Amino acid sequence: MTEPTTRIIGFLCNWCSYAGADMAGMSRMRQPAGVRIIRVPCSGRVDPLLVLRAFQEGADGVLVSGCHPGDCHYGSGNYFARRRLELLKRMLPALGINPERFHYTRVSATEGARWAEVVSAITERVKNANDND
Amino acid sequence: MIGFFICQCGTNISATVDTGKVAAAAAAMRGVAVAESIQYTCSDPGQATIAEAIRGKRLDRVVIAACSPRMHEATFRRALERAGLNPFMLEMVNIREQCSWIHSDASEATRKATDLARKAVARVRHHTPLLARKTAAVRRALVIGGGIAGIQAALDIAAAGIPVTMVERSPSIGGNMARLDKTFPTLDCSSCILAPLMVEVKQHENIELLVNSEVDDVHGYAGNFEVDIRRKSTCVDEEKCTGCMICQDKCPARAPDDFNAGLGSSKAISIAFPQAVPLIASLRKEHCRRFNGNKCRLCQKLCPAGAIDYGQEEAVLRRSFGAIVAATGYDHYDWKASYPTYGMGMYPDVVTSLQYERLLSASGPTGGRIRRPSDGAEPRQVVFVSCVGSRDESVGRPQCCSVGCMYTAKQAVLTREHIPDSQAYVFYMDMRAGGKDYEEFARRAQTRYGTLFIRGRVGKIFPRRGKLVVMGTDTLAGDQVEIEADLVVLATGLDASAGAGELARKLNIACDRNGFMTEEHPKLRPVEAASAGVFLAGACQGPKDIPATVAHAGAAAAKVIGMLARGELEASPMVAAVTESRCAGCFKCRGVCPFGAVEKARLPDGRPVARVIGSVCRGCGICNVACPPGAISLNGFTDKELIAEIVEVLKPDVGYRTLDFG
Amino acid sequence: MSVYSYFPGCSLKSGATEYDRSFRLVADCFGIGLDELEDWNCCGASPAPHHWGGDLGILLPARNLHIAGASHDGIVAPCAGCFNRLKYAQHELSRNDDLRRRTGQALGQPVHYQTDVLNLVQLLNREIDPEDLARRARGRLSGMTLGTYYGCVLVRPPQIVRYDDPANPVKMEPLLKAAGATIPYFPFKTECCGSYMGLARKEIVLRASRRIIEVALECGVDALVTVCPLCYQNLDLRQRQINDVYGTDYHLPVLYLTQALGLALGFSPEELGIEAHAVNRPPSAL
Repeated sequence: MTEPTTRIIGFLCNWCSYAGADMAGMSRMRQPAGVRIIRVPCSGRVDPLLVLRAFQEGADGVLVSGCHPGDCHYGSGNYFARRRLELLKRMLPALGINPERFHYTRVSATEGARWAEVVSAITERVKNANDND
Repeated sequence: MIGFFICQCGTNISATVDTGKVAAAAAAMRGVAVAESIQYTCSDPGQATIAEAIRGKRLDRVVIAACSPRMHEATFRRALERAGLNPFMLEMVNIREQCSWIHSDASEATRKATDLARKAVARVRHHTPLLARKTAAVRRALVIGGGIAGIQAALDIAAAGIPVTMVERSPSIGGNMARLDKTFPTLDCSSCILAPLMVEVKQHENIELLVNSEVDDVHGYAGNFEVDIRRKSTCVDEEKCTGCMICQDKCPARAPDDFNAGLGSSKAISIAFPQAVPLIASLRKEHCRRFNGNKCRLCQKLCPAGAIDYGQEEAVLRRSFGAIVAATGYDHYDWKASYPTYGMGMYPDVVTSLQYERLLSASGPTGGRIRRPSDGAEPRQVVFVSCVGSRDESVGRPQCCSVGCMYTAKQAVLTREHIPDSQAYVFYMDMRAGGKDYEEFARRAQTRYGTLFIRGRVGKIFPRRGKLVVMGTDTLAGDQVEIEADLVVLATGLDASAGAGELARKLNIACDRNGFMTEEHPKLRPVEAASAGVFLAGACQGPKDIPATVAHAGAAAAKVIGMLARGELEASPMVAAVTESRCAGCFKCRGVCPFGAVEKARLPDGRPVARVIGSVCRGCGICNVACPPGAISLNGFTDKELIAEIVEVLKPDVGYRTLDFG
Repeated sequence: MSVYSYFPGCSLKSGATEYDRSFRLVADCFGIGLDELEDWNCCGASPAPHHWGGDLGILLPARNLHIAGASHDGIVAPCAGCFNRLKYAQHELSRNDDLRRRTGQALGQPVHYQTDVLNLVQLLNREIDPEDLARRARGRLSGMTLGTYYGCVLVRPPQIVRYDDPANPVKMEPLLKAAGATIPYFPFKTECCGSYMGLARKEIVLRASRRIIEVALECGVDALVTVCPLCYQNLDLRQRQINDVYGTDYHLPVLYLTQALGLALGFSPEELGIEAHAVNRPPSAL
């Protein structure tokens, strides 16, 4: 058995980031295998409680990815997500969770390469955060 | 009873994911009655296998592990429906784009696929049958842009009996094609094939043509778009103007000639070009004397039709549409800032390919005689430079313009036809002549018309004794070359037209990194934009030549016709719903809803509750998060479903690191 | 008053003493303090480091950077070649830990390399207010058309020198315009002059430099302005060779930027060392 996988729950909005992850696949961009993607219609659907639930269930990291500002399929969902999740990130230390284990990012439907970079970078950061905890 | 089907996708999936192993694991999951690995799930036999299992094993839920749901979710929902199941009792697992294609280690990929399968099986247990709602669709389409793409789309849609409104921001339709002299590879006259279509648009009983107009704002959703169209003030009453051109002849104020790509000049009040449709004048206030502190009202005095109205105001029209076609086309790349070594536009005899089209065209500023701009002399040596702002990483533009090779070959041919003792040189990188009869045409440019093709880039253009020296590399000969030219033509790359990004935002669709609008799938949905009801036609989606543009626009029209033919649309039932017994009537949901889909209602006992207007809700789920008592919930993405996914996908398994709370 | 460590390099102490002289005159005019670097050595541009190989091409400029340390507002190298070598060393040292360690070993102490490295144009643009220059210019450049010739190493490689547009540098222009000159677009402003090929393959230099002069005249230029002693050599000192080989009759003066500014400020061609140039027939307006 190789090194244990760093497991990250990724909540991806259907219109931008999920399509971006598909694009990375279509371009055959190799990525670390630890990310488990959960598709949501919009990053605005991601309840901070879902993020906490993922940590509670043993996720090493959680990543929420939505559309770039101005690109939201629903107009403003990504802004709601940003506000809620920024607040959550600030609360994480109080809950004893290293905020380096939680990330919020933006990847568009055409940014396959960017998605692959995000997966690699965040896997690395989550891994480091957990090694240091 | 759940049926689990995993697709091998030939070897696309099975090369990395052991589908048999995943199926075996799934068979052991709670509620799974059948688990099978299928070579091609989406094929006829694949779908038949699923249908048989649904009937034979009395399945009420189905999980399919295959490609992205963005690819085939709709396919499999239809398959479920045909087999007698509610189509929303399906859950897909993306093990191709997000698993087999991005991992090389088979055991790791198989483990990931198993995790994802477990999560899907858990999720599908919470699915409830949903019924697609039918909503009435407005039987009218909006076509944005009046170039060849918009014209073709509008005519095709109108021919099917569906009314069309065409919005064009300039004073005439025709777009870039109207500026071209002749077209490759047949050398037929561009205006001659375009002009009849332009006239047909104007005269078609099903087409409303709005020139000098722009899309201001877009609301609504597929089937029911509300669009604000801004009609710009041109100081000319379109109904009265007869296109007699007296105003243009007498107007004392010169203005740039946009149609002729800046060559020659026009007047402040003018008709865009002789074949303009509609043939009406328009006044550009920024160049008019009257609007710049002068008292001139010559055009008003002289107009025999009394069409001039200096006080004409902008107007905003609101129209309803069932579908929208974006056909905004392209602009030529503005090369000046990025290519200082080509003179930054300071040499009048370095022109762009579009300007050269105007010099070739009989309706152009020189009446179809090639004359160089500096002194009006007829050039003998004409040098064409390909790929200016295309395939050039050094200016940040890696993309191919896809038409430059061919139009340059065409312009070289026409040069020799216009001036028999002239010599054309083409600096090129590669000859890309992939279309039907294109290669033969490019070859003829060399053999019959004596064009000299030099493979290499041009480093510098500089003046010497009244000529322009074009200095470049001949990479085949491995040498530097210098050619003394009378005229230099730059084959500039193509950009999405100015304002395309802004329009895309209004339409809620994406643009790629080069600024072109993005189709929903590069192969299978080439004319659909990511927003339902919005379609793409022509070069707004990416550079295209005329045949490809016409085909693309026709395809977009077919999609619009298919969508609006029945007068009603099936709307997704994946919308928010309120459990009224839990609702506290705080209306936080109403506050966050971007679409105004939540209304206030009262229960018989007088208690206020929120109610979702299903036809307006678009299913984002923002309200789901905002609701304090958890009364409002998004069908298909309920908290239960998402939590089931989280819990199951993280079930501890051998080899995973587990958190050590010690 | 700003004071800079002044790195003259070999040229300004030998073949280009008039560059050194005119630079000091102009600097003095605007109160720019120059403190010649003590015990400076070769910038590393000479052929020796290239042939010697190893770290010498970095160690030589690194020692100069180290001596300059943080003592002044930066180090100025008027010769474009010196500037390039100092920037190159700085770039390599900043990204290569091992090289930094080896350099420290050679120096006997940790290398100090982060001082601000400026070329002449950069220094003058930083220290001279164009309006002030325009007020003090005596009108001797007005009516003159000057071609700005930047050469290659002042602006290239762009990711290392990080100065001006590598295809169309323009930083000399504001100073010369303020001094009263007219500056046309000169398409050969970064075209290769032949560089050090003059030693081994003279014909290459003659051909390259000839074309620069030819295009300059085509652009109606009265004189070329440069900041590179090697470019000056090829364009001015070899002009007679060009005339001999190509049967031309060029007499195009080539001035250092500081000489051109010096003329505007009222210094005589003799004070500025212009009379020592091969083409010393002064432009008509002088």
